[in-house]
Amino acid sequence: MGPMVLWIILALLTAAVAASLLVPLARRSQAASGKRAGEVEVYRDQLKELQRDRAQGLIGAEEAEYARAEIGRRLIAAAAGDGGDPTSVQGPVRHRIATAIVTLLPPALGLCLYLGLGNPGLPDQPLEARLADPGSNLALLVAKAERHLAEDPNDGGGWDLLAPIYFRTSRFGDAEMAFRNAIRILGPNAARQSGLGETLVTLNDGIVTEEARASFEQAAKLDPDNPRPRFYLGLGLEQAGRAAEAKAVFEEIAGKSPPDAPWMPLLNEHIAKNGGETKPADAPSRAPGNPTSQDVAAAQDMSQGDRQTMIRGMVESLAARLKEDPDNLEGWLRLVRSYSVLGDKPKAQEALDQGLARFPAAGREGQQLVALATEMGLAVKGADREGVTQ
Amino acid sequence: MIIEIGHYALVLALATALIVSVMPMIGARRGDMALMTLATTGSLTLFLLVTLSFGALTWAYAVSDFSVMNVWENSHSLMPMIYKYSGVWGNHEGSMMLWLLILTFFSALVAVFGRNLPETLKANVLAVQAWIATAFLFFILLTSNPFLRLNPAPAEGQDLNPVLQDLGLAIHPPLLYLGYVGFSVSFSFAVAALIDGRIDAAWARWVRPWTLAAWTCLTAGIAMGSYWAYYELGWGGWWFWDPVENASFMPWLAGTALLHSALVMEKREALKIWTVLLAIMTFSLSLLGTFLVRSGVLTSVHAFATDPTRGIFILCILALFIGGAFALFAWRAPMLKAGGIFAPISREGALVLNNLILTVATATVLTGTLYPLVLETLTGEKISVGAPFFNMTFGLLMLPLLVVVPFGPMLAWKRGDLLGAFQRLYAFAGLALLAGLAFYYAQHGGPVMAIFGLALGFWGMFGALADLWHRGGFGKAKFSVAVRRLAGLPRSAFGAAIGHFGLGVTVLGIVSATTFGTETVVEMKPGASVDAGGYSLTFDGMRDAVGPNYTESRGHFTVARGGVTVADVWSAKRLYTARRMPTTEAGILSFGASQLYVSLGDAMDGGGIVVRIWWKPFILCIWGGALVMMFGGFVSLSDRRLRVGAPSRRAKAARPRLEAAE
Repeated sequence: MGPMVLWIILALLTAAVAASLLVPLARRSQAASGKRAGEVEVYRDQLKELQRDRAQGLIGAEEAEYARAEIGRRLIAAAAGDGGDPTSVQGPVRHRIATAIVTLLPPALGLCLYLGLGNPGLPDQPLEARLADPGSNLALLVAKAERHLAEDPNDGGGWDLLAPIYFRTSRFGDAEMAFRNAIRILGPNAARQSGLGETLVTLNDGIVTEEARASFEQAAKLDPDNPRPRFYLGLGLEQAGRAAEAKAVFEEIAGKSPPDAPWMPLLNEHIAKNGGETKPADAPSRAPGNPTSQDVAAAQDMSQGDRQTMIRGMVESLAARLKEDPDNLEGWLRLVRSYSVLGDKPKAQEALDQGLARFPAAGREGQQLVALATEMGLAVKGADREGVTQ
Repeated sequence: MIIEIGHYALVLALATALIVSVMPMIGARRGDMALMTLATTGSLTLFLLVTLSFGALTWAYAVSDFSVMNVWENSHSLMPMIYKYSGVWGNHEGSMMLWLLILTFFSALVAVFGRNLPETLKANVLAVQAWIATAFLFFILLTSNPFLRLNPAPAEGQDLNPVLQDLGLAIHPPLLYLGYVGFSVSFSFAVAALIDGRIDAAWARWVRPWTLAAWTCLTAGIAMGSYWAYYELGWGGWWFWDPVENASFMPWLAGTALLHSALVMEKREALKIWTVLLAIMTFSLSLLGTFLVRSGVLTSVHAFATDPTRGIFILCILALFIGGAFALFAWRAPMLKAGGIFAPISREGALVLNNLILTVATATVLTGTLYPLVLETLTGEKISVGAPFFNMTFGLLMLPLLVVVPFGPMLAWKRGDLLGAFQRLYAFAGLALLAGLAFYYAQHGGPVMAIFGLALGFWGMFGALADLWHRGGFGKAKFSVAVRRLAGLPRSAFGAAIGHFGLGVTVLGIVSATTFGTETVVEMKPGASVDAGGYSLTFDGMRDAVGPNYTESRGHFTVARGGVTVADVWSAKRLYTARRMPTTEAGILSFGASQLYVSLGDAMDGGGIVVRIWWKPFILCIWGGALVMMFGGFVSLSDRRLRVGAPSRRAKAARPRLEAAE
């Protein structure tokens, strides 16, 4: 159904409301008579009740007599006010102004407010219908896979498919669960073990934990030619302060890699940091402000103060770059996350607001910002998400 | 398209509410029937529009339409269906919609059942109701619009707050709101009477059923909320003097006072001005309660930084309605004629005492609730006013009230006979004290004060029975005559007796659960046993389980008494996956009116787990009593006399006689 149908329905609704309000105005105005009839009835009933109370001895004879007189006085007053009401209407009253207001206000106010607030062009989108025809919407495909897995949690292939997607969309908790499920059901392979390891490292702020190390080790065993798990093993050694062993690992990867491999600059830096000589190589360009894992790793070797300064510097330069080129969603996401991790809430909020100014919350990109804000506990303007307890 | 129709219906509702706010009032001043009738049709139209809008929102929740931001924020496609529905009002925007729906529902009820009202009064009442609806419609549309859309729509929602994923949420807020919003009718009647400048006994009779209905729903809502907190939060407590609870309790206290003062006004035309003031106060407290719970009237001051419009809006609504009503009261109340005279010792006097105590109690709770919030806003200092304060002040205030309750119905109107009432009651007082002693010995031990507490509970219950006993005239008249007289009593007399009896039952439950209850906190390993309340619990071990949108690990306990297994119970800790939020699902076993409450704490190293076990003797009496009170409310509501005043065939038949008398 197109928007035309919607407008027809809205018009009919408006007409119905106006008509229902016009009915009383169209009828001949009667005099407002008998307005105290109900009151009279109440007092009459009270007299009966008084008799009953008297019969049950709930009120003394003398008091009952007083009360009867009291109620009687009110009864007479109410009955006297009946009929001869001076405010009764004299003849038919014209309601031209009232009719005009009742006819015009609903459509006028309705249109003005609705055009400002509503989305007449946006159709309903029940989830079932969208899942039946997900198209190329990745989020929907993920949701579909999730529903399938909720019904059949032992479908290892499903978990295997979802895990890297979770990782890429920053749902690290879910990624960990998916990798673990895939490994449990399908058994370990290099990609799964390596993916699990990377997820664990990300969840632990870049530290290669013991569990992650074991995972990488297994991946390296299963696929000795893959440089990725071996790099992380080297990183783990580096973080443990075993520079010589780390250097050996990095050099080994470098030896097996083609000289123009994209990870070479990163490797060379690590080799240099652990006291080795490197061949100069052309550094490929990076996305603006991408603090690589190498930067992070470098930061981990420094003293606490130095590290903070370095990270600060990187974040500031990212912020400066985004000021010049604000059409970079990745950059905004990173900036918000960085400030949040650094514990600088006002700056994170500022970055979030600026990012949302460029990518409105209603849009697809904006939603990523909103999701991040939720994760980081930041407030999104115009969307109050406080926990409701009732 | 359905959603957009719902959105548009809400906008149309605003236009209708504006018309109903103004036109009938002009009609009432000019005596113009057409404009006054507009109130009736307008209120019905308003209700239909809001229902349509609320229905569209509910539909969006039911089909998980995440293109609606409100649905995306508060729902999840894998939630059980019932929580998808109840999730509609489990958030700020949706609960405001529910509030509005109930408000317009009450307006529609007045429009339909108010045929017996004088036209001007009815028109004014419905117009005041429409003012409130207008304010809420503006608030919803401009600051809390549940129909805002997302494009493109996300694939999955952010889930409903797990604490709210409970059957309790499906029932509690609607009941509570029926109570809160029901008092708006009393408020509208009061304001309409002030505008009209005329108020009389008939007014009180028309107000009473609405007050009674609201009070009954609020009683049920509070009891429900208390029981929900008791089993869901896993702390074993049933009342925490939390600002949110107090927010619902204050209108209840004021509403109880209103119920009683309206009685005096109806019967004796006394306490008019006071009753009007109470009606205004009760609804003001309801409004305060609504916002205190939803956004926090004072904490919203902090929220100004992120969303200034909403906070300012709330303060404006409160200032407008509470301030406006009190200003109107100050201006018009002196013009109202004062009513009947009565001696201090009389039914009226007892009801005045009831009002006095209830109002002071309300003020106490209000102080204890708002003082910390005000202090924090002004100075930033955080203090906590907790149970000790409320138990000392509120508890002490309630003692004399509970003692006096059985006397009230025994005293005659206008001038009562206290000695007579004593004579009629002393046997029951003795019985109550005896029952308290018996209960005490049966439970073995406990502080001495508990006897008085228990006796007070029984006193309330027996007093209510005594009321019916004497009204029937048992012991004086022949048994068959007494039964016939009892059956002939008006329903409201039974309602009052049942309500007072329920109060006694609740007091009994409170005293018993707080003085005879036990609390045990132990670390248990599988196979370990612990004693509580005469039962022995054996911990059998933990097991993992998966729900539709949560995972849980639950512990199994076998309960035995005297070596014989009598029951078993699961107690669980849940993790809701979407929000990664843990909740406690306590295991609760009922034995008669008493309960055994098992809640799991943290797992310890070495396979043990911390288990908290409470024995709560007769705790169900607390809520059972509230249910009895509620039942009393319904019985009273069914009283034929509350419907009196309809210009029915009967009234027309009676007219000639009256004219002859003039």
